[in-house]
Amino acid sequence: MISKREIKAFLAKHPAFDDISVSQQAVSKQPSAMLAETRKVVAYARKFNEEVVRPYALTLDMTMQENPAHLPWEFVKKANDWGLYTLWIPKLFGGKGFNFPSICAFLEEIGSECLAMANLIGVHYLGFAVGCSSWNVRLIKQLCADTLQGEQSGEPALISLALTEPGAGTDVEETELMDKGSVSCHAKKVDGGYIVNGTKVFISNGHLSRWHMLIAYADLGKPSSSTVMLAVETGTKGFSFGRMEKKMGQKGCPASELMFDNCFIPDENVLFDAEQGKKLKRGLSETNMQIIDFYFAASRAGVGAFGVGAARGAYREALNYAMTSELNGRPLIDHEWVQCLLAEMYKNMALGRFAYLEANYATGMHGMYKLLQQKQMYYLTKLTPKFVIDKTILPLLDKPWVTALMRKAYFDMQSEREIDITSGLASLAKFSGTDAGIRNCHLALELMGQSGLRHDRRAEKIMRDAKLLQIYEGTNQLNRLNLFKCLIASGTPDVKMFGRQ
Amino acid sequence: MIAGLNKELNMLEKAATEFSRKILFPEREANDTFPFGPFFDSTVEKAYSVDFFHTSIPEEAGGMGQGTPALSVILEALSAEDSSLAGILFTVSAAVDILAQTGNMDDLKALTAVKTPKDMFIACPVFCNPLDITDLPQAKKTADGLSLSGSLEYLTLGGLAKKALIPALVAGESGFSYVLADLEHPTVTRSAPILSLGLRACPSVDVTFNQSPCRLVGEERKGETYFTAMSDRMHVAAAAMSLGVMKGSFKEAFEYARKRKQGGREIIRWSELKMMLSNMAIHVKVADMLVAQACSAMESAAPDRAMAARAAALHVQSLATELTTDGVQAMGGVGYMKDFGQEKRFRDAKQLQALLGASPVKRLRYIDSL
Repeated sequence: MISKREIKAFLAKHPAFDDISVSQQAVSKQPSAMLAETRKVVAYARKFNEEVVRPYALTLDMTMQENPAHLPWEFVKKANDWGLYTLWIPKLFGGKGFNFPSICAFLEEIGSECLAMANLIGVHYLGFAVGCSSWNVRLIKQLCADTLQGEQSGEPALISLALTEPGAGTDVEETELMDKGSVSCHAKKVDGGYIVNGTKVFISNGHLSRWHMLIAYADLGKPSSSTVMLAVETGTKGFSFGRMEKKMGQKGCPASELMFDNCFIPDENVLFDAEQGKKLKRGLSETNMQIIDFYFAASRAGVGAFGVGAARGAYREALNYAMTSELNGRPLIDHEWVQCLLAEMYKNMALGRFAYLEANYATGMHGMYKLLQQKQMYYLTKLTPKFVIDKTILPLLDKPWVTALMRKAYFDMQSEREIDITSGLASLAKFSGTDAGIRNCHLALELMGQSGLRHDRRAEKIMRDAKLLQIYEGTNQLNRLNLFKCLIASGTPDVKMFGRQ
Repeated sequence: MIAGLNKELNMLEKAATEFSRKILFPEREANDTFPFGPFFDSTVEKAYSVDFFHTSIPEEAGGMGQGTPALSVILEALSAEDSSLAGILFTVSAAVDILAQTGNMDDLKALTAVKTPKDMFIACPVFCNPLDITDLPQAKKTADGLSLSGSLEYLTLGGLAKKALIPALVAGESGFSYVLADLEHPTVTRSAPILSLGLRACPSVDVTFNQSPCRLVGEERKGETYFTAMSDRMHVAAAAMSLGVMKGSFKEAFEYARKRKQGGREIIRWSELKMMLSNMAIHVKVADMLVAQACSAMESAAPDRAMAARAAALHVQSLATELTTDGVQAMGGVGYMKDFGQEKRFRDAKQLQALLGASPVKRLRYIDSL
């Protein structure tokens, strides 16, 4: 019928079959116990929603409107008490070790009730993912230990990502743009560490976090190959918080300004820099892009899940309204146009979900989740008693050779194709989910008329919250370009990206 | 483009645009803090002093009797910066239209004789079609007149006005009527101002009547006729408000895109963003032409003016929600922040889409009218 050579050639044609069948390839490779674990996570999220999120979502939003300077410690402490900040810390690092893809299911659940609260939880894992993307195992261990200690003491120790600058949003997310742009957060190498000067803006959870994964640049003229990743602790001399942004939505989650004024960060808090990058296979600029792709491949799927949460929240409120309202003497939900509208909303959220699931399958096979989702490693970490891990594995994590090994495995052994598929599908998930969120909000508010405009009916808050999703973690326009770069341009080698002439 | 219909409208547009830039723009963020911050009394007083509130009141009642196109010119110019004042003017004008239809000159004359602008406020449920409300308040005939009982949601200006034009069912009758109720009467309970998506300085409240005295306006069971006639005119004004929001959103995004740089070039030179801005510009131009055409049909008393007004409103309102979504997007994180006008326009556009009823239901009624 067809030869092996022909099969290979035809399947490689664009779109490559491997690119469009990620979940089919991944399912048999990943541990089957992950599904049961995800079920548990979703049930836990629904319980948390019922007991904490839904009863408090409108109150928190109203509180922030009345007093924009309020810091929602009351919620963060509650989430901390529920163990939500260590749920996805790997068991190897002392956490509860739930599988990473299940965080998206969790965030969809929480996001369907309140995106601000979902962000108050999710951004901590964004910070954690950025720390992990350096594969500096000793520092990752320290961040995890602090978070665990924060859970035990009742004083949450969150992690944030300090990336965006006043003059650089999109620029800091692509190495190719960085060098043409105007980044300004400078890290000067001095004896024993770096001195940082500059400002970061729109930093989610900034005021609430103990650790900040700061992205700075040693050479502002060539940032792509001089990126310095630093772990900065709140309270460090020279580091202070500026204003909190007055946002349209997601009000419960502060967007902070972080200011660095001759702030000295010691060498032991350097997650990654050019010196450490020299030992890797790729050049510094390529490695820095790989790092960006590592964390955005994880976090953009998460933002896609936020978007699906918004789509689902809007759908839920529209459905409730249709079931409790009448038009022309008939229940609204009995009208065919309403049924079709609700079906359209259901479709939007379902397709958004498929997109983030697919992205996570890719990250599980080719990206950051790979090691912990290998069957042997998964079951080993699940079944090994905590005291054994504490005694035998934790002490090893401080050894430089462990970091070197992890970097070899993750940086050097990841192929360009693997980077493309994980990054491209994460962008697909990000803009599909978040566009679905906004689309459903529009539809819900149109259906609900004046009822949808009221704060106490929730739909308007979902809409205000959802709009931010199309902007952060790379605007949806940048994510479309990234999808093109990763999944389309690779098949058209002469194509030029980012206005390159 | 509406202002191009005649010189008078042109002058009115200039005055309203100046008011918008000098009075509304500087206080936009502060005014939007209501109900947590104070109501923008001084702005309303300034609008009153330049006769914006008198525009649609008939001349025989002491107003300017300038009709829907003039009102639309003002509302469009104001909405480019802040739609809340336009929302107040729209609500009062809708009530005035219904009162004028019923020939109720005494109430209209009373409006022009007031001493403070707030006394000109008449609360009216303008974000719905009363036909779509299942439990309208009931008015019972008593020896002293009518007594009103029941609840009404989302009565716009209900927390600020002394009087309200309420759609109600007169007991034993089918088809709603309009009654004029005294909101300060002790039998009337008003909620705190409802926190809404947009137009926050044009607030609404829920109101409950408990055997409250009221007075019939016009004929019994003619409410639908009055509402339809009013909305046939006011749809143009609603479209003009959305158009104003669109113009403001496009202008701000366009100016920002020419200044902000990413990747070493102005973001307007990124062709994807340029395409977005181009689509916004096209939407503005199309909407401008539509509203002008609908106003022209109104001015010339064209036979299809009502359908023109409704079609223009439905289309422009929809374009406005799409455009303002892009208006925020074009400015990224900056567009999402309160210190810029884009996020407010995004909220206002969605709020305005619900004027005179839910959008899909208005669309279904459009085909029913053909």
